[in-house]
Amino acid sequence: MIGVQAVPEVATAIRTSGLSKRYRRVCALSDCTITVPEGRISALVGPNGAGKTTLLRLLAGLTRPTGGDLIVNGGVPRQDPAFLAGIGYLAQEIPLYRRLSAEDHIRAGAHLNPCWDGESVRERLKALTIPLDRAVGTLSGGQHAQVALALTLAKRPRLLLLDEPVAALDPLARRNFLAILADAVAAGGLTVVLSSHLVADLERVCDHMIMLAASRVQLCGDIDALLAEHQVLVGPRKDTSAIERDHRVVLLSRTPRQVTMLVRRNGPVIDPAFQASDVSLEELVLAYMGQGAPPALTQLTSIGDDQ
Amino acid sequence: MTWLVWRLHRTQLCIAAALLAALTVLLLVTGLQMASQYHSALAACGASGSCANLASTLFLGSHAVGFLVIMTLGVPALFGLFWGAPLVASELETGTSQFAWMQSVTRRRWLAVTAGEMLLAAAAWGGAVSGLVTWWSGPDNALQLDQFKPGRFDIMGIVPVGYALFAMALGLCAGALVRRTLPALAVTLAGFIVVRAAVTLWLRPHYLSAVTVTYKLFSGYTPTGSYWQLAQGIRSPGGGLVPAPNGAAVDGIPVGSLPRACAAAASGIRPGPSCRQALAAFHGFITYQPASRYWAFQGIEFGIFAALAAALIAVTAVVLLRRDA
Amino acid sequence: MGGRVISFRMDGRSVAPPYLQIVQQVKQALQMGVLDVGDKLPTVREVVAATAINPNTVLKAYRDLERDGLVEARAGHGTFVRRRLPGPPPGTHSRLGRSLVRWVAEARAAGLDDESMESLLRVALQAETEEEIA
Repeated sequence: MIGVQAVPEVATAIRTSGLSKRYRRVCALSDCTITVPEGRISALVGPNGAGKTTLLRLLAGLTRPTGGDLIVNGGVPRQDPAFLAGIGYLAQEIPLYRRLSAEDHIRAGAHLNPCWDGESVRERLKALTIPLDRAVGTLSGGQHAQVALALTLAKRPRLLLLDEPVAALDPLARRNFLAILADAVAAGGLTVVLSSHLVADLERVCDHMIMLAASRVQLCGDIDALLAEHQVLVGPRKDTSAIERDHRVVLLSRTPRQVTMLVRRNGPVIDPAFQASDVSLEELVLAYMGQGAPPALTQLTSIGDDQ
Repeated sequence: MTWLVWRLHRTQLCIAAALLAALTVLLLVTGLQMASQYHSALAACGASGSCANLASTLFLGSHAVGFLVIMTLGVPALFGLFWGAPLVASELETGTSQFAWMQSVTRRRWLAVTAGEMLLAAAAWGGAVSGLVTWWSGPDNALQLDQFKPGRFDIMGIVPVGYALFAMALGLCAGALVRRTLPALAVTLAGFIVVRAAVTLWLRPHYLSAVTVTYKLFSGYTPTGSYWQLAQGIRSPGGGLVPAPNGAAVDGIPVGSLPRACAAAASGIRPGPSCRQALAAFHGFITYQPASRYWAFQGIEFGIFAALAAALIAVTAVVLLRRDA
Repeated sequence: MGGRVISFRMDGRSVAPPYLQIVQQVKQALQMGVLDVGDKLPTVREVVAATAINPNTVLKAYRDLERDGLVEARAGHGTFVRRRLPGPPPGTHSRLGRSLVRWVAEARAAGLDDESMESLLRVALQAETEEEIA
């Protein structure tokens, strides 16, 4: 059933209210209010510069907000071993010591973390045939990312924040990375926020989405619910004010004879003049990112152009 | 955290330990030789009664080792250069500091353990080298009585430990501020040289007010022990300073400044009684720091550099703990 | 007790969401006789490791199947097939097919093209779903 899932009593891993971050004159993030329930794998999407990295760093406690509140894992992010132990953060520039081996990093982790499962790292890397005793700097990009992910998971965080960790990986490496991620969530007790541009990957592994554009939150919710709320309506060109009044029109395109809309529904759209069709995740993301009409819409409008 | 610092820097620490061991062996061997050389020379001159000139006739040890000892002047700077600046700068530059921070180590603990261990290592190494050099220089100091002089003052006693702490703290602070390894190295080196030179040249002579003694020209005056001479000269009866002789002089007074009564003496004839009487109005003076103040000065200079080190560490802490990662 | 009786394949280009694909693939396996009563379905973690899809997706699919009475979850042991899925009674397909042909002819006479008819069908399916929720 594609239906409403949100239940008020579900524990939240992340809850922000009016969160903003300003660097001197640049406002990296403004008025960000989101909720991520526990156990979700949430996709953080948006164009470059929309504030995704800023949001992740705020959640990890690596930087402090200039406005608003945030509660992560039930507490305010701060420099405290208990809080840091519950957060895993992985960025594209993965900070591993290039001259140390994976085994060295495992030993370091045992000394640095209150809760550490070094055996899980060794098992995972062995399963992926990644050598434990070679300097990490000599590994390939995919292997590097796997080592970093395994180390991050070994501290048993409750929340994992990933900033485009798979961008530089080949398809197989990406697949393995996401499989390990999904498996860790399946084992229980983990929430993930994953920022990525690859919608196909996100569609596969994520069940929640936070969409940022122009440093603001555009959408936040379970993906199934969001897709159910949106529709593409195509029909002859006529007065659309009724629809625009009752529902939120995200994208509107008119030709002399036809109008195409992507709407966020506020209840069923009962207008027989319009053909309704479902929206795919990619179309939705593109529409909100403001990068032009989704492919399906482009096709339809070009038909109208012929007349 | 201690384990990680050790693991990251164990190569450097091992090299440093090896160098220290080599230096220890070298100085132990040559030091013992020099000591016995000195004692036998003392015994010989004591028998023949010519000990007064021993300082200028006896040379202890070898030039090479002596040069090496002088070069230990630069040892503290090495701490800042090879440990302090690269430690923090490269961690910030490559982002590897984030590894520890995201492994449940708070920034405060990271800095405290890292800086604390590095400072301790610097102090220990600096102290060890200084101890060796001080011991090794024992005979030479007794002979030449020059340990208070700049260049020798800086490599013995406790001040090298202060310099090492300062250099390490400077390196850490430069690394935290500049965040790039090579520029941080440059800043550390330049800063160390400038501060050391400034303190030695402009501050050290004034830690305690210098003592000035005026004396009759004929009697002369030499302070006891290993004093540090700051100025010496001759004053004319009117109080003015007599310029240093450049060529012909009588009793240290250049020909141009001689009183009229000594005109004849200027051309090489022995000064007569009237000249002697005129010269008696001239006074020699020496401004110096007495030998007894040696350890006071060591303590003051150590305190200055230790305080500078503390201030730099405070700045480093503020920069790292307040700034975003 | 290996759970490798069937494995799932996700089609990225299919209009059906992943959880529905799992439901359909289980039902197909039941109809074809690949899965029989008492067989154990792959665990959530096995499916996730093989396909890199969200674990909640698998859970939702298994819950759907359980609601339809096709499988049952035994705590601590896994999810097992409960009954076979016979096809609809003979003649149902042909009967429904004939009435559909009549409907299509009626719609064509009214001037609807293929896509309009598909759109109407989708709206009807959706309305049925929303009725179920309501």
